[in-house]
Formats: sequence, structure tokens, C-alpha cells
Amino acid sequence: MSSTSMARPSRGSVTAVAIVVLLVVIGVAAVVLGFDLARAAQSFVDGLYPPRAVTAEGAQIRDLYTIVFLIAVAIFLIVEGLIIWTVIRYRRKPGDDTLPAQTHGNNLAETVWTVVPTLIVIFLFVVSWQTLNAVDTPAATPDTHIRAVAGQFQWQFDYLDNDGTTVLYTQNLATGEGGGMAVPAGRTVRLTLTSPDVIHAFYVPQFLFKRDVVPGRVNQFDFRVNEADAGQTFRGQCAELCGAGHRIMLFDVHAMTPTDFDAWLQERIQEQNATPPPRPSGEAGATVDISALNVAFEQAEVRVPAGAPFRIVFDNKDQGIPHNVAIHRDSPTGEELFQGEIFSGPDQREYEVPELDAGTYAFICTVHPNMTGTLLVE
Amino acid sequence: MATTALTPAASTYRSGLYAWLTTTDHKKIGIMYLINSFVFFFIGGLLVLAVRAELAQPGLQFVEDQFYNELFSMHATLMIFVFIIPILAGFANYVVPLQIGAPDMAFPRINALSFWMLPLGGGLLLLGFLTGGAAAAGWTSYPPLSEDRPLASVGSGQDLWIVGLVLIGTSSILGAINFLVTIFKMRAPGMTLFRMPILVWTVLVTSVLVLMATPVITSALIMLFIDRNYGGSFFDPRVGGDPVLYQNVFWFYSHPAVYVMILIAMGTVSEILPVFSRKPLFGYKAFVFATAGIGALGFSVWAHHMFTTGSVYLPFFSLMTFLIAVPTGVKMFNWIFTLWRGKLTLATPLLFALGFLSMFLIGGINGAFSAAVPVDFALHDTYWVVAHLHYVLFGGSVFGVMAGFYFYFPKMTGRMLNETVGKLQFVLMFIGFNLTFFPMHQLGLAGMPRRIADYSSAAGWNDLNLLATIGGFTIAVSMVPFLWNVFVSLRSGPIAGDDPWEGNTLEWATSSPPPPYNFDRLPEICSERPLFDLRHGRTHPAATMPDPGPAPQPTHSAG
Repeated sequence: MSSTSMARPSRGSVTAVAIVVLLVVIGVAAVVLGFDLARAAQSFVDGLYPPRAVTAEGAQIRDLYTIVFLIAVAIFLIVEGLIIWTVIRYRRKPGDDTLPAQTHGNNLAETVWTVVPTLIVIFLFVVSWQTLNAVDTPAATPDTHIRAVAGQFQWQFDYLDNDGTTVLYTQNLATGEGGGMAVPAGRTVRLTLTSPDVIHAFYVPQFLFKRDVVPGRVNQFDFRVNEADAGQTFRGQCAELCGAGHRIMLFDVHAMTPTDFDAWLQERIQEQNATPPPRPSGEAGATVDISALNVAFEQAEVRVPAGAPFRIVFDNKDQGIPHNVAIHRDSPTGEELFQGEIFSGPDQREYEVPELDAGTYAFICTVHPNMTGTLLVE
Repeated sequence: MATTALTPAASTYRSGLYAWLTTTDHKKIGIMYLINSFVFFFIGGLLVLAVRAELAQPGLQFVEDQFYNELFSMHATLMIFVFIIPILAGFANYVVPLQIGAPDMAFPRINALSFWMLPLGGGLLLLGFLTGGAAAAGWTSYPPLSEDRPLASVGSGQDLWIVGLVLIGTSSILGAINFLVTIFKMRAPGMTLFRMPILVWTVLVTSVLVLMATPVITSALIMLFIDRNYGGSFFDPRVGGDPVLYQNVFWFYSHPAVYVMILIAMGTVSEILPVFSRKPLFGYKAFVFATAGIGALGFSVWAHHMFTTGSVYLPFFSLMTFLIAVPTGVKMFNWIFTLWRGKLTLATPLLFALGFLSMFLIGGINGAFSAAVPVDFALHDTYWVVAHLHYVLFGGSVFGVMAGFYFYFPKMTGRMLNETVGKLQFVLMFIGFNLTFFPMHQLGLAGMPRRIADYSSAAGWNDLNLLATIGGFTIAVSMVPFLWNVFVSLRSGPIAGDDPWEGNTLEWATSSPPPPYNFDRLPEICSERPLFDLRHGRTHPAATMPDPGPAPQPTHSAG
């Protein structure tokens, strides 16, 4: 039996000692580093819940999450506790070479642990089906129609009329004060999702909701932001891998009171109708051509004379993808000196750029900051 | 019969490395499966260490966006297709013929072919890195992203990915046929289906899954290849194709493949628990039916990966996904009650098996969240899913693989691994695993999407990401005692003897390592634990079994 005893230490003493030592080390480290353990525990538990939902639908999903979570925790504690207790209780004593009772099964126990879990999962299925019907049934008459167009790597939001057909206003910038999707809090919004290129996903964590944006297919869903959350901004992000710029596909959702929203939309519509795209004045001196294809500028470097206004003829060759040309001092992250209009390709615009001092500038695409080139003013 | 026409193997010049490269012995092939799989495990691990390093804090520090996409796409592809699936097939290759008292697999040469396709396929996958960029559209490679060259992967990496996976899939199909024939036709006298070791049952069900599902993904891959290279329009919406069709076909394979990635690990654990608790597996038949039930239900849940596409019938797939928890739960209770009132020896194989139980439990429970469709709307494609799949595939499969490795290493090499070093590895791996993947639940709930190279420091994800990175490197450190243990044991480990663990099944009835063709003589088989019966003087109740006689020997010669 010597080789057997070598292969079978009779206790997990080494592991037990290792675990105890490790816990002590962690505990001492925590005290030394001054961790507030109570606060850490609280944030750990909070982290096991989704964020507070800001839509009516999200709140129902969060309630469902709570049900699933509590049942899950109960099952986890019972079963994991059973495993740990069994392992501690039934360790083999040193020198004990007798066989335990050779139990092959127990019909009653096996029936119980087949039937009870079946009932639990059927319960979970029924409650989740009910929630699904509540959150995923389209309203008969939504109050506001918005269309999100997701292209590599930019969101565009079209505000539609009440039929959901005519575009009233198009928002090209996805984030920031002047950009993002404005929604009326307390009204039902129908969001239609389309993509000109690859699959994206519209995801706002505080909605507890996402839906894929599939090219060749029109997806839509309804949501209603709580009235109480008017005035807040929520962060959204593409959730389906869509290429190298996946991580920069961010957008903001601004919740407004319905009156603010109506006023804002009217203002934007008028603003858009009042300012037709700038036309060439015929006075500008030099003209440079810049073009964009496959989310990159085709020119690494362009030159213009110093001290005189000039014209950029920008050719956006990317089908359905918005680009522009913006000029920054020194480097792509430098001070912005000029920003051209953003538009989707294939299309062309001519930008009139005011005079610049001699030096090196960077030109970038505002919606794709990784698209860059160098502008030499001589 | 012209059996004499078969030229005997010229064993004289088959020695050393050449013997391994040309072998058709299932044991050598099984060991080569393990070595090959571990090599790709380490490569896939290095790729993901780069991913974790990049995510440790906000800002792009180490890699560019496109390369980041290549890293995680290849990490998942390597881990799934050239590590987990083949290493389990490797254990099966080594153990199944031994456990059923057969001299080898039914088709030894096809067995060798199955193996040799794996390093070739894995090499093709990796070749993308040298030809301008590996596949970068995720291991799922959804079109149109995987089709539009300028907007997705540059170079031929995506094509190499397709060709590599088709090769690996072919290897799986050949292996599955081989296992099925071996199990149905080559069992020792007296070994009825319900006296087969549980590991053999799980290999049987896995092989059926592979055989039914793999041709389906092969079709998807070939359609994708045609779309990319020959102007096809299967999945490109601009010319009338349907990108969601790919997802249906892909997941029709890839969900059953999840069970391909875990059933044999479950089987291994089901061999280990009875040995180290000195009790039979609790509810053997229920376990078999649960395994078959998981296999059958596994074909009706694929669309739970597609709940957010807006194009599947949600309630059906929700119900089926919930239901598949039932046979899984049955297994969990069978395992626990195998230990219950046993006499547990906490050796390293049992520790890893217990790690499997307690971590797979979490992976099973957090899967139920995604079965509730509205909750899945919140969690889909976030880090929650990354946590879930790693609790199943790492907490489950990898811990199961390690349990199996420590359990079978003495049989394969004739030498014992060091228990203390093994336990050190377990503790490091267990802590590192939970540090890495538990915070990902919280990241997912907080809204962090998968597959992003960077995040804003204002998003509040900094601490949890740093924790996950520390955990990831702890797992990497746990590989040091592992490799050290193997290295030292191979050189100077204690001699194991035939049966170091007091095993229950036939592989422990032969020498360690077993001779070619495995057995000279087989014991009487009147239960699923023939060696236990032999050791404790238990014979067939009716005592009518004839002596099975000499063990079967092959009719052809293959070294």
C-alpha cells in the first residue's frame, strides 16, 4: 500500500492551509491598505443588479431580473453549500480503509430533483413570457417616430413625421451637447433601426434593452422614458462587433420634457431649412481635393498657400457613411479651427475655409477621429 | 481472405520520434491530441493576456483596434476548436478503447488522419497573423462583417479561418464515426450498454452531436467562402442575401458544440468522483438519460443566441433553454450524492473535479438569466455573457480537463504527479479564475459590451477591469507549477503502478502505460465497475458468465 498512500494523502491539509494563508494575507492587505470592507461589500452587491431603469419597459425587465436573481441566489447557496458541506463532512479519516455504503440511487430523491427544478424553470418561463409580452408589444399609435441609422462607425438619428415616413430632421452627430438622440420623456417613442453596412446593435444600459441593427431588415421597438427622468442624458453604445471602430460607436440619449422636445425639434427643423449647404462664392483662391473611402482619407497630406481663404472639395465615397473634414491646429487632438458639414456618401461638398497661418495642421473626420491627414499651409 | 497480403509493420525502423509521427496506436494518438491541444491552449492564452493587458485601464496602451479584434477572435477560435474540443477528444481517444476492453479504435488509420488534421487546421488559423491579419470578425464571424474585406479583416485571414475550421470539422466528423463504431462494435464480452463507464456514454452522445451538427456549420462556412471569393450572395443583403440565415446555421452547430465542449469533461468528472469517494456513481441510469436528454434538447435551443436579432420566435427558444437546465440539474445532484456519505480522498484530481462542480454550477445558473428573454435583452453581447461562457468552458471544461489530466497522467506515463504542486496549481487557478470572470458579471450589468478595445474612464468600469486583468495573469502564473510538475514527474516522478487510485474501470486493469493492444486478459464484467467488483470479490449475481477468455487482438498489424 505504500505507493497508494503516496498517491493519496488522506486529507486536503495542504489546500486547506494554502487557502487559510491566502485569506489571512488578503485580510491583512485589506486592513493595511485601509479598504472600507463594508462599503466594498455594498458596492459588490449593488454591482449584481442592473442600473436603475429609466424607461417603463426597463423597469419591468429589472423586476424580472430581480425574480430570476433571487431564485438563482437561493439555488446557488443551497447547492454550493451542499457541495462544501459534503466535502468537509465526508473526508476519509487516515487509515480508514473500509468501504462506505454502496448506494446506487434513490428513486424518490431523483424524482424530487427532476420534478422540482422542472416546476421552477416553468415558473421562470411563464413570468419571463409575461414580461416579454409587456415590453415587446408595439403600441398601436406611438407618439414619436425616430429612425436610427447605424453605419461604420457612427449613429445618425432621423426624426420622422407621425406616419413614420417623411424625415423632418436629421441629426448626424451622435454625442455631446449638440448631438445625440433627443427623446420626449413620458411619450412612447417608436425607434426604427436600419444599417447600410454590417450588423450593429442599439444598446442603452439604462434602458436594460438592446436590439440588433441588421442590414437588409428593419427592426423596431417602442420605449417610454419616465417623465421623472427628463433633463438627463443616458449613454448608449453599439453592442454588436462591427469592425475596427466598434468601440467608438457611442451615442447619447437626451431625455426632454415633451414641450421642450417639441420646441427643440421645431427649432432644428427651421434651422435646417434656413441654412442651405454653403455654395462656392467664387472668390476663394486655391482649391484642394480630399476624398474618403472605406473610412479613411485617400490623401495623407495636402498643401495650400498661407494667408488666403481656400476651398476644399470633399468627395465622400462611402455608401451610407457620414464623413466631413475638420481642421485642427498641429495635431488631430489640437484646437479645432474649422469644421465642415457632415454628410453621407456617396456625395460631394465644397467647404470654404478661412485663411490660415503658415504651419502644419491636421485634418480629421469629426465622426471618425481615427481618419486623419496632414494639411501643410505654406 | 487475403489478410496475409498486409505487410507487417517494419517495426525495426520505427523508433523515437518517427514512431510517434507514424503511429496508429490510439494511446499515442490520444497523447498527441493532448500535447497539440495544450500548445494551442498556451497560444490562445497568450493572445488573451494581451487582451486583458489592453483592458486593464482606459486608453489604448498596447495594441490597435484592428489587431485587438484579431486577438480576441483568434483567442476564442483557438480555445474552442483546437483546445477544448480536441483535448476532450484526446482523452476519449486514450481512454475509451481501454475502458471498453478494446485493443484500439475501430479505424486506427482514420484515427491518425483525424489527429493530423488538427495541427494543420490550427496552423492555417494562425497563418493569418503572417499574411496581413488574422480573422477579426469574432469567433462567430457574422456576415456582412466577415464578408466586406475593406471594412473587416484585411488580408486572407478570414479565408484561412474558414479553411482551417472546415479541416478541423472534418477531423471531428471522422473522429465521431470512429468513436461510434468502436463503442458499438468493440466492447468486451459482458459489457452491455448499461455497463459502460459514464465517460464512454458521454463520448457516445458527443459523437452523435458532432455527426449531426458539424456538417451544418461546414455548409455555413463554405457558403461564406463562396460569398467572399466567388461572388456568392448567400448572406450579403445588398444582393438579396440574409445575414441572419448565417446566424441560424452557425448556431445550429455551435450550440450543440457547447455540449461537445463539456459532456466528455462531465464524463471524466463522473469517473473521478466515484473513485475518490469509494462509492458508485449515484443514479447511473438517470445520468445516462440526462446526458442523452441534454444532447437531444441541445438541438432546439440555438436561437437563444439570437434573441436580439428581432427575427426568431422567442417563447419557444426561451422554454427549451429553460428546460435544458433540468437534465443538467439532475447531473449536479447525482454528482453531489455520489460524494454524500462517501469517504473522500482530497487528491488533486478530486480537487479539480470539485472545482468543476462548484464553478459549472455558477455557469449553469447564470445561463438561466439569458433564457429569460427580456433579461437577455439587457445582458446579450455584454461582459455578462463573457462571464457565463467562461464559467461553463473554463470553470467547467478546463477544470474537468485538469481533473482528467491529473487522474490519467499516471496511466499514460507510468509516473505520479506531485500532489503538493498540483494543489498549488489548483489554488492559483481557482482564485485566478474567479478574480477574472466573476467581475465580468458586474461589468456586463453595468453595460460594458463585449469585444471593445477600450472604454471611457467615466464609464465606471476601471476597477473591475483591473481586477479581471490581475485574475487573468494569476491564471497564467498557475501554469508554471503545472508545467513544472509535468516536467519533473516525467523525469523522476514516483512509479505509479497499474492502479494508483484504486480505479473502478478496465483501464486500471492493465499496466501503466498500457502495452500495444492494451490487454492480455480481461476480468469478468458484470457491472459498470468491473475492477471494483474484482477487488472486492463481487461476481455476477447469476454467476453464469463464461470466462471471457483472452482479450481480443487486432487482425491487422499497425504499430
